[in-house]
Amino acid sequence: MLSAFLQIGTIGSLIVEIMIIIGIWNIFRKCKKPSWWALIPAFRDYQLSKCADRELDGRMYLLIVGLQYFFRIVESLFGFLDDEKFIEKHTFGVVIIGFVFFTVIIASIVYTFRIYDGLRILFSEDKKKSVWTLLLIGKFILIFKWGVSKKYQPQFIYVDERDNDGAALSGMVAETMDTGLTVNIEERTAMDFFKKRYLLRDIHLNIEPGHMVLLLGGSGAGKTTFVNAVNGYEKAKAQIVLNGTNLYDEYGKMKYKVGFVPQMDLMRGEDSVLNTLIDAAKLRLPASMSSSERKKRISEVLKFFGLEPVKDKLCDKLSGGQKKRLSIAMEYISDPDLFILDEPNSGLDGVMARELMEGLRKIADKGKIVIVITHSPDRVIDLFDDVIVLAKDSKLTGRLTYFGDIEKAREFFERDKMEQIVLRINRKEEGGEGLADKFIEKYAEVCRG
Amino acid sequence: MDSISEKFLTKRYRGRLTQIPIYIGKFLRMFIYQNDWKVIPMAGFIAFLVAFVVRNSFYVTMEGTSKGALALMSVALWNGFFNSIQVVCRERNIIKREHRSGMHISSYIFAHMVYQGFLCALQTVTSIVVFLYMDLKFPSDGVVSGYFLIDLAITIFLITYAADMLSLLLSCIVKSTTAAMTVMPLVLMIQLIFSGSMFSLPISMKPVTKYMISYHATACICAEADYNNLTSSSGWNMLKKMAERDDADPEIKAMVLEMEATGQDEIVRRETAKSNYNVNYENTYENIKYHWHALVMFALFFAAMSVVVLEFIDKDKR
Repeated sequence: MLSAFLQIGTIGSLIVEIMIIIGIWNIFRKCKKPSWWALIPAFRDYQLSKCADRELDGRMYLLIVGLQYFFRIVESLFGFLDDEKFIEKHTFGVVIIGFVFFTVIIASIVYTFRIYDGLRILFSEDKKKSVWTLLLIGKFILIFKWGVSKKYQPQFIYVDERDNDGAALSGMVAETMDTGLTVNIEERTAMDFFKKRYLLRDIHLNIEPGHMVLLLGGSGAGKTTFVNAVNGYEKAKAQIVLNGTNLYDEYGKMKYKVGFVPQMDLMRGEDSVLNTLIDAAKLRLPASMSSSERKKRISEVLKFFGLEPVKDKLCDKLSGGQKKRLSIAMEYISDPDLFILDEPNSGLDGVMARELMEGLRKIADKGKIVIVITHSPDRVIDLFDDVIVLAKDSKLTGRLTYFGDIEKAREFFERDKMEQIVLRINRKEEGGEGLADKFIEKYAEVCRG
Repeated sequence: MDSISEKFLTKRYRGRLTQIPIYIGKFLRMFIYQNDWKVIPMAGFIAFLVAFVVRNSFYVTMEGTSKGALALMSVALWNGFFNSIQVVCRERNIIKREHRSGMHISSYIFAHMVYQGFLCALQTVTSIVVFLYMDLKFPSDGVVSGYFLIDLAITIFLITYAADMLSLLLSCIVKSTTAAMTVMPLVLMIQLIFSGSMFSLPISMKPVTKYMISYHATACICAEADYNNLTSSSGWNMLKKMAERDDADPEIKAMVLEMEATGQDEIVRRETAKSNYNVNYENTYENIKYHWHALVMFALFFAAMSVVVLEFIDKDKR
């Protein structure tokens, strides 16, 4: 009797598995994915999550299922859960493993729901119906139905744009200069779920001393990645030369010649302006500098940024503009040759933003290179010498679309305003014209002459 | 403004040691302006509550001492945890910026070690003063220093400091103050459960207790109180309860009354105490020093781990 039940159970499981394979096979055909993935457990669910545009959930699911398999393999190899003596001896360890396993099971159920909710949207299935089917009968019915029935067609076909070819490479290299900044970024990559992804590629340019440069680009174009690669904070496969010295090779010392002002005003609100600057000076100025020299420098910087009247105030009590100036002053204290600012005018009104940018212009006029990221460049564009335009190509890699004179940039993009230039290169999904690839290749042609 | 940048490449910048005073100064300013001073009166208030509850039996009977040690350990743990649970995670982005500008993580953590040591010392002194004010009865002789109060102060300081360093490590691991405040009670609960004195744990879990601050903390306090030479009231109290019941056996009633009248109850108290003997609570120089060493090692280990964990701050997602 028992063996008959067991046989029925085995046959039932086999039928369910076959239904799942047939269902997923057909879903992959509908979603234009290789159907053979349907034969590989766990990985097929990851592929399903990609069909449903829920790749991150799919990754987590794959990791969780992987952990489950790992536990099962270890348990079947050593069989420690059947060994009462072992359990008695290692109760604590077994309890911990049991707790982890329990968490993993709950997580796998949650992520299954997430993926199947995505598939439900993909096939425009009724929410209540699919949830109850999933809970009461199982996922195989839904999968089989969505895969086999012609009534269910995907609402969209998910394409991973990072697998596209992207714009052609320029093949250029910027000639290294003795003064100023030379940037030759071959690539900046990151591993994304066992796949190499390009964040930046093929960026070559020279910036002369005394130039104030606008760094322009839509969201996700790689502006922050670019400045982090240039200042050596997140190294790329690149050669960055500042005034004849390779920044990556001499990073330990060169970092004091590069000032990076982050978007947020990162300082301790309960410390005074003067103490904040004193500490910044102690950290950033050479240890051999005498106390009087350091005090003189602090006093100069306080005056230069108009912070003298508020030097004894706590940072939290400063206005938005004053905080921003202090944040810049903290970097400027070491008199860096390259000064990079990430949206310094965010949160400031027009007049304050203009004042701040004029201050930066004065710094550039002292022979420094100032690179500024800003999303509202047009009201201060007259202060800039050059513009770097970055854009995501069709592979979603940050690429150089233009570098050079502001006036020539207008001619190049056939637009008067910088914000309009951004719209030209932004992707269509972002409300742009989606011409990034065209301009990347056009710029390479212009450079090649 | 004269350009000074040309000199930079050949110049040396502040190293690990010379950066430490910068951060100690910063933290001391935070003590005043960021209201870190509030932990001092809070320590006093908690000490007052504990003293109020345990003052009659602490250092008198085994049971009272054991409960008092547990309470004292909990107070010290709480103070330590509360001191530094938010200190790193609340300024994570600032640390990231300063690390980028040349700050050494080891200097930053060492400065925290010094500053937190200062806070713990203040809390210890506050607690002792409150205990004295509440007229808590202490033995007069200390095993290590010769003075009981000094030994007790060192113990309270070490427990608070070890807990403080554990909490500093947690603050380095978590990314937000919310996460820190969620994790803290969980860790406190683990410490209490595995202290070995609150619940009787299965034999297989006993080794875990040795890796708990709470275990060494309780052992230290009980050892200093000479726990093994105190009398135990639990056995005699049980007998008295039995005799006081209305339906109690008249023979037992008579026996208890006679024992009480002839002073034989002391024998019961002493004999019960013998059965409560705990080797970890030995009132010896070696034993107390062993537990002190364990607490110091914990503090150093957690501080070292904090440096290791915080070195990865640059990997934080933007």
